Amino acid sequence: MKKILFIFFMGFFLIFSTLQAKEFKIGVAVALTGKFGKAGNLVKDAYTYWQEAVNKKGGIKVNGKNYPVKLIFYDDKSDPATGAKMIDRLINRDRVDLLLGGFGSSQVFAESAVAEKYGFPLISGAASSNKLFQRGFKYYFSTLGKATEEVKGCVYAFANLKNKPKTAAIVGADILFTSLACEGFKKYCKKNGIKIVHYELFPMRLQDYNSLFMKVKEKNPDVLFVGSHLLVAMRTIKALKEINYTPKGIAFSYGPTVPKFVGDLKGDAEYVVAASEWTPNLPYKGKVLGSAKEFAANYYKKYGRMPDYVEAASAGGAIAQQLAIEALGLTPPLKDRDREKIAKWLHSHTVNTFYGKIKFDSDGANIAHPALAIQIQNGKIKTIYPDNVKDANLIYPMKPWKDR
Amino acid sequence: MKIFIQTLINGILIGGVYAAYSAGFSLIFGVMDVINLAHGELLMLGAFTAYWLFKISHIDPYLSIPIAGVLLFLLGYFIQRFLINRVIEKPAIMSYILTFGLHLIIANTAVKLWTHDFRSITTSYSGANFSILGITIPVTRFTTFILAFIIVGFLFYLLEKTDLGRAIRATAQNKKVAQLLGVDVKKIYALTFAIGAAITGIAGASISPFVILFPEMGLSYTIIAFCVVVLGGMGYIPGALIGGIILGVIQALTVTYINAGISVAITFILLFIMLIFKPTGITGKGNV
Repeated sequence: MKKILFIFFMGFFLIFSTLQAKEFKIGVAVALTGKFGKAGNLVKDAYTYWQEAVNKKGGIKVNGKNYPVKLIFYDDKSDPATGAKMIDRLINRDRVDLLLGGFGSSQVFAESAVAEKYGFPLISGAASSNKLFQRGFKYYFSTLGKATEEVKGCVYAFANLKNKPKTAAIVGADILFTSLACEGFKKYCKKNGIKIVHYELFPMRLQDYNSLFMKVKEKNPDVLFVGSHLLVAMRTIKALKEINYTPKGIAFSYGPTVPKFVGDLKGDAEYVVAASEWTPNLPYKGKVLGSAKEFAANYYKKYGRMPDYVEAASAGGAIAQQLAIEALGLTPPLKDRDREKIAKWLHSHTVNTFYGKIKFDSDGANIAHPALAIQIQNGKIKTIYPDNVKDANLIYPMKPWKDR
Repeated sequence: MKIFIQTLINGILIGGVYAAYSAGFSLIFGVMDVINLAHGELLMLGAFTAYWLFKISHIDPYLSIPIAGVLLFLLGYFIQRFLINRVIEKPAIMSYILTFGLHLIIANTAVKLWTHDFRSITTSYSGANFSILGITIPVTRFTTFILAFIIVGFLFYLLEKTDLGRAIRATAQNKKVAQLLGVDVKKIYALTFAIGAAITGIAGASISPFVILFPEMGLSYTIIAFCVVVLGGMGYIPGALIGGIILGVIQALTVTYINAGISVAITFILLFIMLIFKPTGITGKGNV
């Protein structure tokens, strides 16, 4: 009797476990709390949106059969070491089939190292420090360009003007992504003959920006470039207004595209320029989430806000991985050699998505994607660079605080 | 020369801001020997009171100051009466653990309630400034600077000239004797904590127009308050003003003449030097 019961339970267990395996388990370690908690939640929203859209159609379609997607999120607490631990847990304890990237270069740097060790492809849509691509990794991919290249559009938007600026100041927070953004600003300023009159990095902990920007004000550059995250960008605007300093132009590496920037700073956000990789008015489309415009409209319906480019890039990465699975005809649970095939496929194919073309270079960077620049005009985000996709002209010089 | 004076003014103004939110920290330490690690959270709650009143009812952040004061007074009274009172007789480590726990609970509850969003109050006078002889002075910072003097003056008056103040001082000096003389020590502790929380809430509401608010902002303010109070003398109320202004000026000079990168480090170097060589603070009047 005992034996029969045992066989019965084993049989039940086996059936149950094969039933369980009929879905793709995808793990994500991303900042849900801590200093990148706000931005990390955007990434979570983007993946969740993709998951729901895919599951609505039954799941990822492989050889005529649908396999739903199940996402597992862990909070890396904005801390690289925690992130690495979470990836280990996803792979070894939760036995996920695949991974997707989190938010922020420092975190993704640590997380992708663990993924590489186990041979798990990791596509990130929210990390772009150059260092990520200099490790000779085979399994790391990014739908964003490199941090130094992302800001190219910002500089060119100014440099292409007839009355182009002659001098610039570059300041930024001293963390991986923002300091590289500063490098990028420097590189393209030099290329365009814009003289750099001030260059300074400051710690994220710095609370009072007034004295810092007072120094910049004294040197009176035409344009101010800031290597920033959202918090830095917001504090910068507050400080500039308080010390009554309006450069002719100001550009940020990240921050102003997050809806809260315009929402809370209101008129003070006007004329601010920022780097971007995607806006909803671009003529991109793909088979999974439709066109850029459709994606933005549906996203708005779900979350009540427009998607940021980091969200688009993250969803774009999820789609690229999905297309690889479909093309290769892989079914869950995935094995090590399946993941190796996916990485190879991603390296050798170009995919079309609402986010634009995605083509990964041998170092994992997306090279099919042009850097954009946006400017806030009348509270709306307008694309001002490059010329073939822009929907507004750069307003330069910006109006002084006193005249607004 | 102009840049030197401007830097000095910046430093003095930010020093006043530091003083405004450090006075409550100093008061609580001076009377109860409690280093309140949830201090920054009280400030954050004051600032968020102003934010939500502004966002929902369009109440000017300066009009929210008394409301933030009253709310934080009640919260402070509650926290001390029901939580901190339980550990006040215990070794100091217990109060660190308790207040650190409070810091985590308040900050994380705020994250759950209000998300991680960075927020800003933008009013018609946001970023307004005036200039005297070419020196720019931001109005909102200047207001908080004045408020710091009012807070410190009020506390000084309260402690020196009123019966409640005498009872508070007596309790701070010798709890047993105060008790023998008919002072309700538990009530005095609760009132002191409530007053400390109230002025911190007031400071929070008053800085809300010019800082970026987020639920986890508190800890960095607690650290600054700690440095300010060590510099000025632990528990010596006017020391908050002196410590605040010294710290503010040193930081501003560092940013202008060396670089922003080490201005944060300077704060901690200063803290260590003071703790090692002059733990009673620059004024020499701090409790150790």
